[in-house]
Amino acid sequence: MDFKLNDEQELFVANIRELMASENWETYFAECDEAHVYPERWVKAICELGFDQIMLPEEHGGLELGLVTLTAVYEELGRWGAPTYVLYQLPCFDTILREGTQEQIDKVLAYVGTGKQIWNSACTEPGAGSDVAALQTNYTRKNGKIYLNGQKIFITSSKTVPYLVIMARSADEENVFSEFFVDMSLPGIKTEPLTKLGLRMDSCCAVYLDNVELEEKDIFGKEGNGFRRGVKDFDFERFLVGACDYGWALCAFEDAVKYANQRVAFGQAIGRFQLIQLKVAEMAVRLNAMKNMLYEAACAYDEGNMTSAQAAMIKYYCPTAAAEVVDRAIQILGGVGVTADHRVQRFFRDLRVERISGGTDEMMILTLAKGVLRSYKN
Amino acid sequence: MKIIAAIKVSAEAQDIEARPDRTLNFDRAQSKIGAYDLNAVEAARQLADTVGGEVIGLSVGTSALANSKVRKDALSRGLDQLDVVASDEYADLDSFQTAQLLQSALQQTGYDLVLVGAGSSDVYAQQVGNQLGALLGVPTLNAVNKITPEGDHLVVERLLEDAVQVIEVPLPAVLSVTSGINTPRIAGMKEILAAGKKPVNELAAGAAPAGSAQAVSTLAPEQVSRQQNIVEGDPAEAAAQLAAYLKAL
Repeated sequence: MDFKLNDEQELFVANIRELMASENWETYFAECDEAHVYPERWVKAICELGFDQIMLPEEHGGLELGLVTLTAVYEELGRWGAPTYVLYQLPCFDTILREGTQEQIDKVLAYVGTGKQIWNSACTEPGAGSDVAALQTNYTRKNGKIYLNGQKIFITSSKTVPYLVIMARSADEENVFSEFFVDMSLPGIKTEPLTKLGLRMDSCCAVYLDNVELEEKDIFGKEGNGFRRGVKDFDFERFLVGACDYGWALCAFEDAVKYANQRVAFGQAIGRFQLIQLKVAEMAVRLNAMKNMLYEAACAYDEGNMTSAQAAMIKYYCPTAAAEVVDRAIQILGGVGVTADHRVQRFFRDLRVERISGGTDEMMILTLAKGVLRSYKN
Repeated sequence: MKIIAAIKVSAEAQDIEARPDRTLNFDRAQSKIGAYDLNAVEAARQLADTVGGEVIGLSVGTSALANSKVRKDALSRGLDQLDVVASDEYADLDSFQTAQLLQSALQQTGYDLVLVGAGSSDVYAQQVGNQLGALLGVPTLNAVNKITPEGDHLVVERLLEDAVQVIEVPLPAVLSVTSGINTPRIAGMKEILAAGKKPVNELAAGAAPAGSAQAVSTLAPEQVSRQQNIVEGDPAEAAAQLAAYLKAL
């Protein structure tokens, strides 16, 4: 399989590199991370180069360049330590275009090019995480309106997004789950930010819904289709998690290997010591495995063939493998890695969250193993 | 207005390796448009967007100019068209040879204004603009830090050591712009995709004119160990120490 990029893809990557080299973005990222603030100025800068048009269909003004292109861009951004995890909404217009009404589509696409956060979906509740079917948030119809009541928790981006797609169960029929495109400025909605171990540049809140009045037109997708809608989109999001993780691992690896060539101890560069070489070798193996896994899946996606098992494999393997790379990078960097505010510390914290956020390791194992077993049936 | 931006494709500086014998290894160096040439392209684009007209890139060089990625890169930065004069005879041209080849190309294509960067990113002799202007026999200025169109001429500002000189320049003219005249745009994905559809005009490449300079050898500077002199004290004292040290060198 040939993962060679074409001229255009190479130029996209080169220009992303040029943008990332044009100023010391790391200082900005460190400030945003410290303050739990979304790095809007940076997202706007990459959107000006067309980032949010990569996966957007041409008929909606996009470039439709495919997942291999997007992966190459994530890889380069990650190499500079950029918080690619905040970008997940921008290649995901597919969900809105497929499920949304024209009005909902227009509302979302109005944000293309702005760099602002737009929307996210909200499933998780205090009593329903991986076990989504246990959710208690409900909706009921009264006087031609729909009323939403309940509580969501750990909802990524919910502090700043103008819209949330909220999943709820029908108050009348227990097994009917539907989603609603909710304007976050409506009365009855309260968000309460939570602090996080990592991924701090994106908010995470508890969202309280107290008799939020909606219209029939606010239903997202088909009523009762809430669960089935999510599956395909989950696969894409899982892929993106892996692409982020690989990028940071690459960044930490390059920081550490350059340091190993420079840092002198006992009269020679520490890279000449075998215990450092063992770490370098183990890091290189994991990076190569992540890279190949991602590009192989991206090629499959562009041909319409990425499987749920493939996406789950990425989401399971990359956070752990990347964390192992970053851990070794910190060990090589020694005091430099653990003091002041070296970026590897941020990756270390972010990657620990990645094993939970966007689908836990445990759920990924189930999906992956089921997919593998199924392929050997009969 | 027909604005020509002269660009030189050379080896990416950060990829050039110095061998232990101080000779240079270009094997891993990719071809790239000179960083200072991008200021000329950007200034040309901005001017054309203000007064109307077209921006044509003109490059004299080797077969590196046949590289489709290099061409698209140039075209994505704001050019409407790229003219190339390519021959492997043009590998190590001196400034005057380059100026003569540019002159001959411009005489074929015509021009109202030629913009060049402060210097090439490899040799940085800063000569081609002035020599080209002299060969063409048109008004020629360097160190141009601002260009403002006014009626049928341009008003340019030249950045001098302790003053800004304002000059009215009739057209046609050749101007060398500073690296501070603008911040060259980073081409977006749309511009990169559009670049592949823009015209590239391959002009006839004649024999290289006779050289006026001869490169005897090109070697990396000799590596010396750091002396690790540390300047300490309050800023005034430290500055005095540093100045004394530099004077003694």
